[in-house]
This record gives sequence, structure tokens and C-alpha cells, in this order.
Amino acid sequence: MSLDRRKAGVFAAAFLLRLLLIVLFPSLPDLLTGRVEVSTPVSSFKRLQEGLFLYTRNVSPYDGGVFHQAPLLLPIFALLPNSRDSPLPSVIFYSLIDLLNANALIAISDSGQAVSGRFYSALRKHIRWDGFAIAAWFLFNPFTIATCLGRSTMVFTTSGILYAVSSAVSGNSFNAMLALGWASYLSIYPALLFIPLVLLCYDVRAQRTKAAPGLAVFVLQHLAVLLLSVAGLLGMSFLIIGNFSQIISATYGFQLLVPDLTPNVGLWWYFFIEIFDSFREFFLGVFWLHLTAYVGGLTVRLRRQPLFVCTALLGVFAIFKPYPSISDASLFLALLPLYRHLFPLMRYTFFAVAAILYATLLGPAFYHLWIYAGSGNANFFYAITLVWSLGLSILLADTIFAALRDEWELENPHLRGKDVKQV
Amino acid sequence: MATPTALPPLPFNPSRARSYLLRLPLFTRLVLLAALVFWLLELQTVWSVVQWGALTPNEINLGTMYRLNTYPLIHVGFFHFILNVVALTPLLERFEAEHGTLTAVALFIGPLSTLPAGLYLLIEKGIFNRNASVVGASVWVFLLLASEAIRTFKSHPYFSLGSTKIPTWTSPLFVCAVVSALVPNTSFLGHMCAIAVGYLLGLGYLKVFVPPEKILRWIEGKLNLLGRLPHYVSVDQKTFGRYGVLPTSAPVGDRPHQSAVVPPRSVVHLQIINNINWVYFPDRHQHQCREVTDLMALKSAIRKLRSNPQFLYVRLPYLLSFLCIVAGVVWLALLPLDDYSRRTYISENALLPGQVHAYFSGSEQNVFRGYKKEIESLLPASYHEVQESGVRDAEFTPVVSDKIQSILRAAGLKVATQNYEYSSSGITHQGQNTYAIINAPRGDATEAIVLVAAWKTADGELNLNGVTLALTLARYFKRWSLWSKDIIFVFPPDSKSGTQAWIDAYHDMQPASIQPLPLKSGALQGGLVIEYPFDHRFESIHIVYDGVNGQLPNLDLFNTAVAIAGGQMGIGASLQEMWDHKNDYRARLETILRGMLKQGLGYATGAHSSFMPYHIDAITLQPKGEGWQDEMALGRTVESLCRSLNNLLEHLHQSFFFYLLMHTNRFVSIGTYLPSAMLVAGNFTIMAIALWMRTGYKSRAAVKSSDEQSSDGKPSGEKPSDEKSEVEQKSSQTETKDATGTTERQLALPLSLVVGLHLLGLIPLYTFNNLSYKYYTPATYAYILADILLPIFLSALLTSSSTNTTTNPHQHHLIKSFSLLPLGLFLSTLATLNFSLSFIIGLLCTPLTFIHRIPKTASIPAPLRYALALTGLVLLNLLSPPVVLLAACTYSGTSVETVLTQAAFGWDVWGMWTQVVVWCVWWPAWLSGGALLGCSFF
Repeated sequence: MSLDRRKAGVFAAAFLLRLLLIVLFPSLPDLLTGRVEVSTPVSSFKRLQEGLFLYTRNVSPYDGGVFHQAPLLLPIFALLPNSRDSPLPSVIFYSLIDLLNANALIAISDSGQAVSGRFYSALRKHIRWDGFAIAAWFLFNPFTIATCLGRSTMVFTTSGILYAVSSAVSGNSFNAMLALGWASYLSIYPALLFIPLVLLCYDVRAQRTKAAPGLAVFVLQHLAVLLLSVAGLLGMSFLIIGNFSQIISATYGFQLLVPDLTPNVGLWWYFFIEIFDSFREFFLGVFWLHLTAYVGGLTVRLRRQPLFVCTALLGVFAIFKPYPSISDASLFLALLPLYRHLFPLMRYTFFAVAAILYATLLGPAFYHLWIYAGSGNANFFYAITLVWSLGLSILLADTIFAALRDEWELENPHLRGKDVKQV
Repeated sequence: MATPTALPPLPFNPSRARSYLLRLPLFTRLVLLAALVFWLLELQTVWSVVQWGALTPNEINLGTMYRLNTYPLIHVGFFHFILNVVALTPLLERFEAEHGTLTAVALFIGPLSTLPAGLYLLIEKGIFNRNASVVGASVWVFLLLASEAIRTFKSHPYFSLGSTKIPTWTSPLFVCAVVSALVPNTSFLGHMCAIAVGYLLGLGYLKVFVPPEKILRWIEGKLNLLGRLPHYVSVDQKTFGRYGVLPTSAPVGDRPHQSAVVPPRSVVHLQIINNINWVYFPDRHQHQCREVTDLMALKSAIRKLRSNPQFLYVRLPYLLSFLCIVAGVVWLALLPLDDYSRRTYISENALLPGQVHAYFSGSEQNVFRGYKKEIESLLPASYHEVQESGVRDAEFTPVVSDKIQSILRAAGLKVATQNYEYSSSGITHQGQNTYAIINAPRGDATEAIVLVAAWKTADGELNLNGVTLALTLARYFKRWSLWSKDIIFVFPPDSKSGTQAWIDAYHDMQPASIQPLPLKSGALQGGLVIEYPFDHRFESIHIVYDGVNGQLPNLDLFNTAVAIAGGQMGIGASLQEMWDHKNDYRARLETILRGMLKQGLGYATGAHSSFMPYHIDAITLQPKGEGWQDEMALGRTVESLCRSLNNLLEHLHQSFFFYLLMHTNRFVSIGTYLPSAMLVAGNFTIMAIALWMRTGYKSRAAVKSSDEQSSDGKPSGEKPSDEKSEVEQKSSQTETKDATGTTERQLALPLSLVVGLHLLGLIPLYTFNNLSYKYYTPATYAYILADILLPIFLSALLTSSSTNTTTNPHQHHLIKSFSLLPLGLFLSTLATLNFSLSFIIGLLCTPLTFIHRIPKTASIPAPLRYALALTGLVLLNLLSPPVVLLAACTYSGTSVETVLTQAAFGWDVWGMWTQVVVWCVWWPAWLSGGALLGCSFF
């Protein structure tokens, strides 16, 4: 009971904090919506408004060439009052989604899959946070709050991913695939989580029932569910918009081919600004291949901890996807405290956190110098996005190191606590 | 420790490198030392070492023969020095080890430096008749290389490349060719001379210069050089040469170093040396033993220092932080020197300052007088009455506005007005801007230049001549056909709010209380503000350039103004109210500091400041002094400036946006001055990182020290007893201690405290920006009182909240770490935006690095601790934001109310964020520092 009360307290406090912020600083949502760190071309609330305007006037939302998000968001947002006149309802809506995400996080944490799974049981199980602490960490993370107030549509993808994981750890693999289908429908890259997620589902199933089905059959079944769910969502989109090829080219084509090089916190935009056009296709392929390459390696190496693979992949996406924003980092940071038991094994947390903090402060400052003051140039901001990615990479690599070390110590109990060098 | 023995050894072994360095023989050391000293001497600017000691053919006469010996020891830069030293050390060490120190001294001071020098002089002067001076130890490098090559040639005459056989003695020639091809400014001739002498040396023709062995032995014996000088290579030793003795040949089978890997490598090495010496020089064994024990002691001291956490984590960070602060301040003090500052220059070619003739003269003066009469007649009668007493205050009435409009209309300009109203700290500022536009005859209305003449200057004086001059210029400019940019004349009623309202509305960014502009033009390229608040003639022009929040206009604009005023018009220019600038160090530093103060405070220094946030470069021209320049001269200056701006092909971007001016034609750019603020900001980060590492390191140190104590019973005496006890308790809590020796840090309380304090800063920020101006003085005193009480209250809260007293110091370290980290973060970010503010706040915060809770130890009795804490708190309170504000106001003679009203006005109207930095960066860090000090009471 006390947990429920604490949870209710955290949720209420998080909700009130968001309301308080918008009441105290009425210009804050619009300010954040315009920030490149919060809004990317594929998640910007402003662009959604543009699409919505066209949609409510019976024009194809993709005609303007500005809107690149999934069509099903339009009918949802058409129900909300116009956010230009009254930003409050939209912020409340986004806050509620944040609370839902936190709820999914609590479910993931309570399942205990992060510390002990089918093949694996962490050494330092006792060092862990409650679900409510993890939810609080997520809800009070400034990046989450900024994303919420900036009303980036990335939160829908986030909730799709979180619900997929929470359904998977609670054994509801069908729902997990539906949720993953929703996330993939919104922004394709979550489909890369399919392999670790289906392994997670399978492990949970095998843990619960002794007579588990064969792995291949299981995977094929779930792949079919995922594909059907995406196909269903696309079918609904077709019913709404009509012009199917336009939908595909404006949303998925846009996400895959990265034509809009508006600055963001990622590593792609500057590179593709600089690259000669003749090499563009090649490097586009290389960049995507690089992003997908992590899936196989991590899944194989960390087969015993599929949930950790999901977390690590989310960290990889936050660094290397084409249009990253701080909301991707906030999702990765939200899942990190599930691995509280790995923190004692991590070595560079302070430096990673310091790098991220520096980037958080210097990023807007240098962007200001570049765009507004005119006294800096693009390299200023790009350098900071490099620092930001570096900080996240250190954090991610350190987490993976800690997970591997934990597994290793489990295998070699006699070397526990000894200095070991890798050769 | 746990490294498996099967691992291959690292290719580079630091301990070997160290032992190599420690074994360098005497003369090599002396040469390196001399080169280092000369390089360090070269850093100062008074006496040029290179000019003194270089081998310059024309400078050589009987009195300057010392150059033949000094030139190898002198280098012209750090890289020259370090590369030569790295190349020379092994060669020279080898030579000395083979020939003995005395021979090396005799050769290198004598023939081996003078012979190549003489050869060089002969060829350079005698044959080529040139005068290139050479310097550097590379002469010895090539000389020794050549002699080594001859030796190699004797044992391996050729190396074959494919089928061709290349004699090995040519290798130095290749090296010389490659070096002269790759490295700029190397003397090929000098190197060749060195190689030639080296060949002679290798072939044995220089043996005549080597002193006879008998004499050497005699000197050595008489002076007991071996006993007196460390690292001395004796005449005897040289016969064995470098490779004469191999360690394995020594009969040391029963020595421990062969049996196991127990002692570290360096110790084994020393023992080998020791054994060798003992075997081959039994009579010198005693002496060598002493030397070795000395070395051992030194080494163990170094090792102890390194593994001494007390030093590494407690003392060193303080030292580093202190050094950072000192270096930061010294850096700033160096900036006015000629070597660190630069002359200003016009970077944008299109500006062409002063290249056109200014025609504004003659009959225009009559127009000026006429306009002035017309406007003066509208002023209230009281204006003329008080004119004599010097006080001139006249309202910008609608009548005046109408008059200005009618004049502008008569001149053929498009005219419009804009009403605005601001309210800040209970005061309402309202007025009406009048402005007019000349459409460019040769442009397409996409770009424009602004000329502003406010009715009141920034100091509140009546700017009658300035307004009249602007009107005259408007009529005059309208008749020219050469403008390619629109020219906008703005007449705001005051310098503080009018331009801000106008420029906000120009970009459609105005708040609701401001009217939008009915008439607009293109993108503004530059702005000039004219002030002329007196009737007499003037002497020089004072240029004001600081913008809101320390933003500065492009340096090209300032330079153009200086060039036109000084070069074309013959009017002197001044800056930062330095009327009597002698251009010496003191005056330059004062100019820099004045500029920094203005930049740091971030307020608008004139009507031009409002333009800066929109990336429009603008300056104010203020005539100053009593001279013979009349308003026409100012008008011509403005005309010429407008012509220059009119020439611009693109927005001013070439020159610097970040600079500190120290004279009208000297400045330092951001690359030169930024390190100073970064160093000051960095000291906080260093401390934060050190404290963080210290909190995690303790348990490991504790484990070690407790191990030591149990094994050899040697207590680590320097550690304060409270740390030790805490440390022991820590190590007993085994579950908090993890495998790799780091502890789990209790982060919740420190984190929430620091975040809470930063949020608490919003309260004073809100108060001081929203109070009515009447309450500012009492509010300041209230905050001073709060600053006295809050730290003590916080520390009481801290002490009572954590019942476990042993974790307290741990928590305090973390609190300090977490409060210094954002301080360092914010200040280094701020340094890129507003260098001066970051530097000032950084300096005011420096005590926070060094204060800490005074621990309850036996060495400090309780009364002394209380007294210390009390003094600390009192001193700290003297540096709290409101006290500093009060002190600054008292010093400058302004009232607190004025300053705070101005600040609130800046926040509300100009978008100034100095307050945010004070209350949300400085104050929270100050509070947590105070709270930590306050903890000493409990």
C-alpha cells in the first residue's frame, strides 16, 4: 500500500511540477518547441501543428513538405484544442503520457528481469532501486521535462518502446509485439529492438512454463504479429490520408534518407552537410549499417541478458540515430537505474556525467553564438554535439563493461574483486 | 599486482625510462640543464638570448668569440628545444659514457663546438658572403651522428637496398637532407659542417684535441672528482665502454633478482649496477653503495609520494586550484604587454575607411543653425533660464516630435512614429519614437543603416546638437545618389528604452505594450548613435561600444570609427572614459579593466547597446573636451562612417566579436584572453573532481593502510585522526565496499541539497526583479541578514539530518564537490559568452574552493575551531552577493536603489541576465560553502 501511495505522490508531484513550470513560465513550451536539442524534423511539435492545419482543412498533410510524422498522430491531435491559443491541454496530455511511461518503467523494474533472468542472476542483487525511485528519476529528469514541455512526438515512440518492454517482462508477448509495432510505425528504428525483445519474451515464457515452444517457431510467430500490427497501422493511415506512396516517402523515406540537415544533437547532420553529393548514398548506407550492426553483436554477446541488450541498444540509438534528441537520451537514462547493481562496477560515471553536463550547458550557449549572436559558427555547436555523444558513449561503454564484468565474476567466483586486465 | 606473468611486457616501460634518466651522466645533465635554462631565459622579453648567443657571421669579433661556444645551447622555441634535446640526449650520454666526463667536457666546450662554427663561418661569410645566424644543439646531434656512422662503417661497411650497396657512412647526409627538407628554418650548411667535423672525429683525426690520459687521471685524483660529483664518469670507467659489461656476466647467481619477480624492476636494476660496480671496482664499492642507497631513498620517496593519497587527493588539488587562480590573474595582467596584444587592423576590405571625401560642410552649417533655432524655440522657457547653471532638462514633447517630423518630411523622407510603454520596478517609462527612412537610390531596400540621435543622452543630458545634426544629415544624405543601403534616422526620447522598443518592433519581437512599426526597411547592417550634449566645440571623440550582456560590436566597426576620426578628420578618439591615455602598461590595464567591468555588469551603456542582441553592430560617438572641432567635423565623421558602411557587401563578420580593447589601436582577441577566465573556472572543476575521487578512494587507502598497519605496524602518521577512524569504520562495512576498491557514495542528500539551493536562487531573482523600487534598499539588507543566518541554519539541518556522524565528512566532501561542479560548469560556459562576468564571479568565488568544514580533531581544540569557523563565516559573509553589491555601491558612490532599479530595468527591458548568474550560480555556491563552514560549529 505504501508503495502505491509513494507512487501516487511521485506521479502527482511530477504532474504538478510540469503544470507549475508552464504556469510560471508561459513562454517555456514555445521556447522548448523551437530548440533543436528538443525538436527534430521528425518529432517537432511545430511541424505537427503544420500537418494538423493542413489535415483539418482536408489537404494532404505531407503536401507542405514540412510534416514528416506518422499520419495516425493527426486524428489524435485533432481532438485537442488548438495549442497555439491554449498550450495547457497539450502539455497536460504530454504529462499524462509521461506518467504512463513512468508506469511502464515501474512494471519493468518490479518484474526484476534486470537483475535475474532465465540464465542469469546478478551478483549484487541487493543493490537496487525501487520502481518508484526509478519512476521519479525518469519523471524529474530535466531532459524528460524538457521533452514533455517541448511536446516532441518522440514521447509516443518512447511509450511504445517502454510498453513493449514492460509487456515482454510480464510475459505478455503478444502485447509486447503490438507495442513495438506502434513504436516502429511511428519511427522505424525501434524495429531493431525486435530480436532482443523476442528473446526476452521467449526467456520469460520459458521461465514460466516448463514446456516452451521451439525458439524458431516462437520468433516467427512474433515476427508475424509485429508485421501484422505495422501493416494494420499503415492500413489505417491509408484510410486517413489516401495517398499511400506519399505517406511512405514523406515519413519513412524521410527518416531513412535524412534529407533535412537541421542541426540536432546527433552526429549525422554535420557529416552529411560536409559530404560531397556523390558519396552521400554510400555513407548513408554505412551510417545505417553501423547503427544496425550493434544489434547482432550485443545480442550474441549478452544473450543471457536480453533486457540489458535493449537498454544498451537504446543508448546506441540515442547516440547514432539520424535525428536524435534529448528525449532519446532521457529514455536511455530512464532505463539505466534498472541496472543500479552495476553502478559499483562502473568506472567513469563522474566524467561521463560531467561531459554530459558541460554539453548541456555549452550546447545552447554555442548555438546562441552561432545563430543569434553571429559571433560563432557551426563548428561551435558541432563540437558540443561531439562532446555530448562522447559523454553518452562513455556512459554506454562503461555500462556494457560493468555488465560484462558482472557476468565474468559470476563465472569466475575466485577472481571476484581482483584487478583483471583484458588482452 | 594480479597481472599474469605470461603477459608480454609492455613495449614501453616507464620505470626503465625513469632509470635511464636517473643514470644520465654528469656532462649530459649539465648540457641539458644549460639548454633548459637558456630556453627559459628566452621566455622573457627584455634580453634576447638568441641575439646574444647566436652564431652570426657578422657579429663575430674578438669580443664576441663566446658565441662560438654558446650557440649550441640556445634554442629559438620550445619545439626546437625539445626536439634537439630528445635527439641529443642518447648520443651525448653514449659519448660521455665511452670517453669519460672530463674528455667530454674538454671536447665539447672546445673543438667540437668551435670547429663546426669556424667551418660554418668560413663558408657562410667567406664563400657565400651571407649572414645567416645559427643556433641550437643540432650541430652536436649531427656531429655525433656522423662519428657514430663512421664507426658503423668500420664494422658494417654497406647496407644493401635491392642490388645497390650504400655505404653506411652516408646515412647522416640523408638525415641532414631529410631534416632540411621537412623542417623549416634549418641551416643545411650548419648541419653539413657539423657532419664534416663528425667524420673527422670518427676517423680519429681529432685525437690531438683529447687531453692525455695521464693528465686526466692526475686531475681526477687530485680533485677527487669521483667522490665529489654525482654521476661523474671516470677515466677508468670509460675503458669498459658502454657495452663492456653485460648484467648476465656478473656472478650474481645467489642474488634475489634472478630468483623471482618479487622486487620491482627498478630495484633489480639498481642491484645489478651495484653488483657490477662491486665486481669490477671493488675499491669503489663503498662509495657506490652510498650512492645507490641515496638513489633508493629518492626513489622510494617518489613512490611514496605517488601512492600517498593524502598528498594526491588532499594537498595536490588545493595546490593545483591555487595555481590555476594565480595563473588566471597573472595571465590577465600580462595582456597589456606588447607581446600579448595586437595592433588593430581593418579586416573587412569593403569598408575602405576614410577613402572618400566628406562634403558635409559650408552651407550645411547654416542649415544646422536654422534647425537648431527652430527646435530651441519650442523648448520651454525654463530651458533657457537654467542653461547657465548647466542643468539642462527638457521634455521630448509632442510639439518637438511634430517639429522633427515636419523637418524630416520637408527634407523628403518617409516619416513614422511609434508609441511605447515599459514598466519596471513600479516605474513606467513611456514615450514616442520618431523615425524616418531614406530609400536607397541604388539599392533594393533589403539592407539599411541606422543613425540614432536620442533626445537625452545616456547620461540624461539634453542632446540638442546631436538631434539637430542628425536632422541636418538627413536632409544632406537625401540629396546624395550614391547610397546602396537605406538609411534610417531614429529619434527616441531617451537612450535607455526608446531604441530598445524600436529595435524590438523592427524585428516583430515587441511585447504587447509597444506599438508595431508602420514603416520598415531591410536588414540592419550597422548603427551609429550621435550624442552632442553641449554647445561649445569639442576636442576628441569618445567611442562607446559595450552592448547588453557584454556583447560587443564587430571590431571592424570600432576600427573604422577610429581610423576615420583619427586618420581622415584629425580628431582624436578615446574609449572607456580614459581621457588621458598615455598608452603605457598602467593605462592599458586600466582601460581593459574598465571595459571588463562594463562588460561584466552587462548593462546598456548607450542607445547603441540595444542593437547588439539582434546582431547589429553599433557604436555611440560622443564628442568630449574643449577643442576646436565643431559639429560639422562630427557630421563629416558620421558621413564618412556611413559611406564606409554603405560599401559593405555583406554583414560585418570578418573581424573579432570577442576582444578586449586597451587602447584605440591595441586589442587582445578571445584566443589570448580566454584562458584566464577558463583557468579561474577550471579551478572549481579540478577541486570538484578531486573531491569526488577522494570520496571514492578512501576505502581503498584505508584497506591499504590497515594492511600496512597489520603487517609492519607502521602507522601512517600524517592522516588526521578523524579520517582514520572514519576510514577504519568504512573498511569494516564490507558490504558497502566493492570489489575494485571503490565505495558506494551516498549521493541523495548532497545532490538534493545542491539542486535545492540552486532552485532557492529563484526567490531572490524574483524578488529583486519584481519589487517596487522603494523597497530595494531594505530588501538588500534583508538578504544580507538572510545570508548570515541561512548557512548556520543549513548546517544545523545537515548535522541533525544525518545521525550517522561517521559519514558526515564524506557527505561534506560530496556537497562541496557537487556545488563546485556546477559553478565550474556555469562559469566556463559563461566565459564563452561574457568573459568578464565569468572572470569577476570566478574571482569572487575563489574562497569557496579552499574553505571546508574544520574537522573535529585533537589537534584543533574546540574553542579554536569555533573561533576559526566564526572568522571564516564573517569573512565569507563579506563576499556574499548583497554585501559585494553594497560595497561596490559605496565605493562608486551610487545608491543601491539606483543600481537595483537599473538592474530590474535591464532584466525587464534589455533582456539582461547578470542577475541570473548572480542568484542562480554565485549565490547557491556561496550558500553551500557557508553551510559547510557552518558545520564546524556542530
